[in-house]
Amino acid sequence: MLEMPAVQQRGFRNVYRNGQCIGFQIAYRSTYYRGIWLSLSKGFSVLVDGEQFPREAITVTIGGKTYTQDEMTRIGNVQWQKTEPAILTIAKPGGLKLGVHQVTVNWSHRTSYMGPDPSAPKQTGPAEVDGPGASGIAGAFGGGNCTRELVLVR
Amino acid sequence: MTRKEFLQTVSGVAGLAAAMPNMAFADAVKKGPKRGVSVYSYGNEFGVSATLEDCLAEISDLGTPGQLMGVEILANGHVEGYPNPSDAWVEKWHEMCRRYEILPVELGHWIDSKLYVEGPEGLLDTQESVAKLVDDIKLGHRLGFTRGRTKLGMLDNDGMPTRNWREIVKAALPVAEKNNFRMLTEFHFPTPLKGRVMDEYLDFITKEKCTPWFGINVDFSVFQTKGGFMGMGKGHGRPDAGARRWAMPAMPVSQPEDIIPILPYVHCCHAKFNDVNRDCEDQTIPYPQVVKILVDHEWDGYLLSEYEGADKVTGGAWPAVRRQHVLLKRLLGEA
Repeated sequence: MLEMPAVQQRGFRNVYRNGQCIGFQIAYRSTYYRGIWLSLSKGFSVLVDGEQFPREAITVTIGGKTYTQDEMTRIGNVQWQKTEPAILTIAKPGGLKLGVHQVTVNWSHRTSYMGPDPSAPKQTGPAEVDGPGASGIAGAFGGGNCTRELVLVR
Repeated sequence: MTRKEFLQTVSGVAGLAAAMPNMAFADAVKKGPKRGVSVYSYGNEFGVSATLEDCLAEISDLGTPGQLMGVEILANGHVEGYPNPSDAWVEKWHEMCRRYEILPVELGHWIDSKLYVEGPEGLLDTQESVAKLVDDIKLGHRLGFTRGRTKLGMLDNDGMPTRNWREIVKAALPVAEKNNFRMLTEFHFPTPLKGRVMDEYLDFITKEKCTPWFGINVDFSVFQTKGGFMGMGKGHGRPDAGARRWAMPAMPVSQPEDIIPILPYVHCCHAKFNDVNRDCEDQTIPYPQVVKILVDHEWDGYLLSEYEGADKVTGGAWPAVRRQHVLLKRLLGEA
């Protein structure tokens, strides 16, 4: 079962490869009322304890497959199911320290039942701690910022 | 035939009634407007504190003995494994419908015209749009739905669909007919029932002679007289970026009687609501007038509740839909 906020506590941990800590992961639940084709995602932005991570540092694992954010923009036949969190893996040599962290994830997507708006940003903006929210009504229709304090134990 | 073949040939009412020998066919589906719920209403809890089965169990609590509750689910919201759910999941879906006395009525599905870009240049081409639409029609049939709330990509914010909409729908018409699936474009605030958007659709329906395989779903937000959208907009005082976009006009975009001339093309309605009080009276949409018109004109179809009240995102959907169905039962003479 998933927690109500978009940013999940469960899944928050450092990531190791070949014995090295190469970064950390965050599980993110879409609060949008339906799933999306991967290419509709405008991307994830991550801010932890004041550190903004570049788009290229974040990969996205959905349905057991891992994609760069760039690859996702071209995949129009794979669904991100509503009931499955996206696992964001954020590259950061050494990972995060054990303990409490302030985590903000921002996300947005395109909606085809609103008329085209060429002035709309093509990608999700940077994550902002007090940015327009992903909870409640805004989240039900398309993402936004979700800030939570999460505890990292491994 | 095998169980799998039986389930694959089951279609809508006939199959379901055949699977429920204790319920007379006539009782199972009476004529006239009937009640149902879109699982969209429970979107805040779905996947977090409620499974699809929980939602069907809730809807079953709203029923009337001897009648089936109509249901809408969202193709890429509630169908596990969309676009290709497993045979096991589909069997489980049909089994849940039988157990909770639910009739699949409408599948909510989308033509994602902005699949790769925001547009207006580079929107999804006709061929790929048709391919996805055809897949959704077949999926709908597999799940027992006889209608789709076919969300066309939009050209503007007045409700006009993308320039290739006629080619897309026309190409899918034979598949729709073969699969007993009526593609319904939704009329929703701020698009009025009388105007250039309706003229566009009626021109196509008349020229192609395609009734009922392409038609209309009327969302009752078109009759809304006050209040806003999910707590935002005129009268709710929330200082919100959404306030301007979602402010309701001083007058509704459509009068209840505006639905009368298009009734032959309306094969489902979204019983949209956002404020039904403790006395089970709707505060923003003229339900008594709208339902009376449907009853008087012997409109045969389902009113599927869509809740968009301010407390939807704080757990208010469950009691709100119940209050609305007390109202609907009274208006339909079931209470």
